[in-house]
Amino acid sequence: MTKRVGLFLALGLLVFGSLALAETPVPETPGATVGGDLVIASSQTFKDLDPRIANSAYDSYVINVVYDGLIILHPETLAPAPWIAKSWDILSDSQVRFYLNEGIKFHNGEDLTAEDVAFTFNWIADEANNSPNMTELIWMEEAIIIDEYTVDIITKAEYAPFAPGFGTETQSIVPMDTVLEMGDEAFNLAPVGSGPFVFVEWLPGDRIVVERNEDYWLVYPNLDTITYRPIPELSVMMLELESGGVHIADNMPAADVPRFQANPDVEVLQVGSLSYFHMYFNLNSPISSDIRFRKACYMSVDMEAAVFSIFQERTGVKAYGCIPPALWANDQPWLKENVYLEEDDEEAQRLFAELIDEGVLPEGYTIRIHTPLDPRRRQLATIMATNLIENGLDAIVIPLDWGPLLDLAYRSESDPVGDFEMMWMGWSGGPDPHDFAFYLFHSANATIGSADNMSFTKIPEVDELLDKAATTLDQAVREEYYVQAQRLIFGNYSAIPGYHYVQTTAIRANVEGFLVHPLGTLWITTPFHNVWLDV
Amino acid sequence: MVGYTLRRLIQVVFTLFALTVLVFVLLKLMPGDPAVVMAGIGAELEVIEGIREELGLNRPWPVQYWRFISGLFTGRLQAMTYHRSVWAVIFLRLPATVELGFFALIIALVVSIPAGLLSAIYRNSVLDYSVTTIALIGISIPVFWFALMLMLIFGVFLRILPVSGRGMSIALFGQQWLRVSFVTWSGFRHMIIPSVALSSVLMAMNARLTRASMLEVLRQEYVTTARAKGLKERVVLVKHAFRNALAPVVTNVGLQVGTLIAGAVLTETTTAWPGIGRLMIEAISRRDQAVVFGLALFIAAFFLISYVLVDLLYAYIDPRITYD
Repeated sequence: MTKRVGLFLALGLLVFGSLALAETPVPETPGATVGGDLVIASSQTFKDLDPRIANSAYDSYVINVVYDGLIILHPETLAPAPWIAKSWDILSDSQVRFYLNEGIKFHNGEDLTAEDVAFTFNWIADEANNSPNMTELIWMEEAIIIDEYTVDIITKAEYAPFAPGFGTETQSIVPMDTVLEMGDEAFNLAPVGSGPFVFVEWLPGDRIVVERNEDYWLVYPNLDTITYRPIPELSVMMLELESGGVHIADNMPAADVPRFQANPDVEVLQVGSLSYFHMYFNLNSPISSDIRFRKACYMSVDMEAAVFSIFQERTGVKAYGCIPPALWANDQPWLKENVYLEEDDEEAQRLFAELIDEGVLPEGYTIRIHTPLDPRRRQLATIMATNLIENGLDAIVIPLDWGPLLDLAYRSESDPVGDFEMMWMGWSGGPDPHDFAFYLFHSANATIGSADNMSFTKIPEVDELLDKAATTLDQAVREEYYVQAQRLIFGNYSAIPGYHYVQTTAIRANVEGFLVHPLGTLWITTPFHNVWLDV
Repeated sequence: MVGYTLRRLIQVVFTLFALTVLVFVLLKLMPGDPAVVMAGIGAELEVIEGIREELGLNRPWPVQYWRFISGLFTGRLQAMTYHRSVWAVIFLRLPATVELGFFALIIALVVSIPAGLLSAIYRNSVLDYSVTTIALIGISIPVFWFALMLMLIFGVFLRILPVSGRGMSIALFGQQWLRVSFVTWSGFRHMIIPSVALSSVLMAMNARLTRASMLEVLRQEYVTTARAKGLKERVVLVKHAFRNALAPVVTNVGLQVGTLIAGAVLTETTTAWPGIGRLMIEAISRRDQAVVFGLALFIAAFFLISYVLVDLLYAYIDPRITYD
């Protein structure tokens, strides 16, 4: 799983505004059993429990139950819905007013007020605090306290038409006084929130335990306790799931899916995730900046077959553009029809020969394909290299650990070009096409040292379309901009789209009321969920 | 003897110093900027720069080295990603490793020494062949595979043991660095699969060593003399042969203690055991240079000191050995 990033700018004012008069919904679970310890297996260890700095999807499992969010994204429609905020008003293009539920208490008895909300937001957005989540609030100018239970969020001019779509753990609210008293480091190790479960203990590498908040303001949580266990080996996690040692496994290898689908004690839940994986070309390199080279590479491989052979459409589906099929404006059928290149070795060889003749591609040159250590992307990179070799070129796959890979992908002042032609990379974002098209292909993000646009695609028309899309209210108009932008991006063959990951979560059959979420996070007790164990 | 001990300890100090430099340089040469890894994909350049500044990563190497070394001695060196001091991070994870290593060693000794002895006494019998064959298998099969098989059989098919993890643990005297799990029923049950898996290699090595050493002793003239004196075979074997055969085994076990602390990486990762072996892997992937540095030195120091102790112990067991 890649780290969850993205602005979550999400959803225009219209959607946001339409829910403005709603009250916080309460989950109904007729026939639910109260009690029990739910064991959740995480494929990575936990790092941070302070939502202001936590930026991994794994940490969010715990953060989601210890804290309440200002709002929550509806589990199916992904539209913002009330949680701490019972409603909101759009005051102007750049100002949203949130009205908070009264009487919410943190676990230590303090009241949750506008002060805590403003503190949480302003702290993350403050550059001095170096929060990895600052990116998610880059659209925000400031959060202002209006009165005890009212807070205004002011957005920056260039993001004027957007209302922020909160809903990740990073918009979970922390108690200001407690944080200031405990200090950031201590708070991170013993978090205090207002959520349905109270933090009990964190045994590093072993487990995190939380217990029911008896006084939870929204609903009585069904579970007594939740135990979170990091289990780094997926095969071991599957054994635990099979033996009943864990109730929820956050991930599953594709090969295990059919076996567990046939197991009556286990339910395999899948939903298309908001993620995108591609093999992008390094447009800074003199070789891969030639579009004939990119097309020839594309035509050397049958990418549909390659993706199918690895995922069998179980844990991943073929991508044709960068906007996941779960989102609007994805335009996948058109891109498949008009931009996707079938394998055509003859044409590829002809183009390669032409490039060698012209001296663009030096004779005997070795094409370098980088990939993270993730076995799936390594396999896909190997398939590409093998096909290039069959077409008479030299190619090598270089798998790298995250650190060195990002160093290379971000480029540096000393090496602005980057010593490679292709790289496999993944991206996940929020429920808005902006999170994908803008970050991956707008020239504003082709910045040396922290390049989200790692291919360094710089197409003025694309920039213009994406800028217009980011400053337009009407979703139908925005859709048209994204469609046009994607057609230009992929018509330029800046990248070979790979796959969209299918979020696979497995639960024991006695876990009730659990819904799998496209954002890859786990929700237990919220305005829409109240998970219980059937005993 | 005192002189020798002192000399050895001084050697240890110098070796450790050389190691600090080596580990530090390796850490710095290791590709992957910690600030980039910590900031995550999609981070703003300012955030990456800010983290670099905060962790002192933009300072010259000697300055960073001095920060690490002095910080370790004063105990004030903070981990980069764990919100605690480096020593606190290590000592929170150490009890799990010590506990696992201890049990693995006990299991290994209880099984391997009698097996090795019997195998030597009944040389070339069916028993001997079985022990040597099993020992060979024990050395050859990878620990993680063996652990997975144990989990599958006892955890999934028979459902008599938990698959992975540490189970319930208790902090003795309320001290987190004295957290033990074998005292609870759940913790004890969780301990079985990892410790058996980890002991498999030790078991095999010790059984083979005991057998070889015993065979050699049994060929010695004093054993023949003892028998010629008309001593009972049991007395010859236990009193005369066994004690002398044990010396190399004890040395080997001493060296294994170091390996158990440092080398449980595979077992700990496979069985989701929260010890320092897994901490090392975790810290490396997070590029937490402070923790990797502290942990590498801690393990090295442990190794070196256990070697010195084994040398000294050797002199005690075998009176022929003296250190001037």
